[in-house]
Amino acid sequence: MTESSQHRWAEKYPELGQGPIAVESCISEDYYLREVEKIFKTSWLYVAREEEVAEPGSYKVKRLAFADTSVIVMRGKDGVVRGFHNICSHRGNTLVTETGEETFGHSKAAILSCRFHGWVYGADGALIQVPEEERFYSCFKKKENSLEAIHTEVWAGFVFINLAAEPGQNLHDFLGDYGTHMGDYPYADLSHSYKYHTTLDCNWKIAHDSFAEAYHVTTIHAGSFPNVFSTGLSDVQLFGPHRTCAVCLNMSAEPKPVAALAQKHGRGSLVAKGGSAMLPPTINPSGREDFAFELSVAFPNLFVHISEGIWFTHQFWPLSTGRTLWEGKYYVRAPRTNSERWALEHAQLLQRNAWLEDTQTMENTHRAIASGAKKFMNLQDEEILIRHAYHVIEQRMNAAEQRREQI
Amino acid sequence: MSTSLPKSFTALEPLAGAWGLPTQDARQTKRRSSSTAELQEFYDAIVPLLPDILSHVDEFPLGELPPDSLRLYYMSLALAEIAPHIELYRGDPNVPHSFEEERFIAVNGQQPG
Repeated sequence: MTESSQHRWAEKYPELGQGPIAVESCISEDYYLREVEKIFKTSWLYVAREEEVAEPGSYKVKRLAFADTSVIVMRGKDGVVRGFHNICSHRGNTLVTETGEETFGHSKAAILSCRFHGWVYGADGALIQVPEEERFYSCFKKKENSLEAIHTEVWAGFVFINLAAEPGQNLHDFLGDYGTHMGDYPYADLSHSYKYHTTLDCNWKIAHDSFAEAYHVTTIHAGSFPNVFSTGLSDVQLFGPHRTCAVCLNMSAEPKPVAALAQKHGRGSLVAKGGSAMLPPTINPSGREDFAFELSVAFPNLFVHISEGIWFTHQFWPLSTGRTLWEGKYYVRAPRTNSERWALEHAQLLQRNAWLEDTQTMENTHRAIASGAKKFMNLQDEEILIRHAYHVIEQRMNAAEQRREQI
Repeated sequence: MSTSLPKSFTALEPLAGAWGLPTQDARQTKRRSSSTAELQEFYDAIVPLLPDILSHVDEFPLGELPPDSLRLYYMSLALAEIAPHIELYRGDPNVPHSFEEERFIAVNGQQPG
């Protein structure tokens, strides 16, 4: 590889500047409320995989705490996936009783029935049955009391919702070149999943930032990934509010006995070099031999990573200024043999441990920033994705507020 | 659940009660409550047999292991749980410098397998 500039990303994207970033946005209550209104309530947000609602009548309910609501994502008998607020038109009970952040269910008849008084809705949201309907008054009309729809669209099997009354863009236009860059990957074929979540006492951006660079791998992952990944990024590309890059292998580390056997029996670990048969032609444009995985961020809160035979997501849901729900979901091809299943377990547990290392700094960072002792963070060139994130958030909120002033 | 192991693996019997655990959560809890010496003892006992264990379980279709073999398979999954601690973390039963593990929820952690 030829010697490249130490400031190559700033030279590629000079509009992002090079200065320190104010940390006030991570601890300010006012800033948080503006983010919720101007970003989270108007952006397309990933809430389900299509496989999670694969059959007609299958549904998933996901809590959206920042908006004090939950979305029901349901597939109708017509095959269409639609989204609704989880609230019954009668007296406002949750239509589907939730059992946590994510609740799954299936209705053979593709209907939803409220357990409070038995009101029944179709998968298109229409209110189709009200017990003792004759006791309601003449002003009550079933057709005026459908479920409240939420804009719902699908990209590459990822179901997104948008809480805006009228989204400024459809999902395709919102994702733009990012959708093209990441879309052509066999996500649905790699359906064997391992899922983790936790609630972190930190701002959602601090959680985002911790995963958005490889500068930390030599320190934070000295345990789980010693000498495995390069700290520099490759092929950084910004697509409007979205961003992507490649993380590369160091390839100097020899696997230990059990790790070596796991790598032999199944493709489940980022630590081992993979092929490129599954990767879209847009990925790894430099054709690097040491390519490990693509690390991409769909604005505002979804990380999608792809590698040969492995893809995984991180998502950061704001709960309050200083609280965030983190979800990590790791997908590989369903094992065909018991030994492959064992190998995937080994790979995934090592990845879990790496995530335990990643999440270790977040609450400490938030607590220290909240002291007010430091007003700025300093970013180096390989932390360009973080710089881009703050830049986009600021830009979008200002634009939204200017539009409002003009009205 | 079975209380024996397939014939070729009876040497592991003294460790099977402790490590033949059916869920990821149970294996994680066992790892965290073990000493470095206990992790090392289990690792040293099972690693030489691991290639044979993987061959043995592949004599059966995925998910269709007879009870004795299933118990052995659970032990191999326990090895997957503890191997990084011997191979990477110098025997530390916890992930060094990590977030609190008990707050990290494995969505499928209580499912057998």
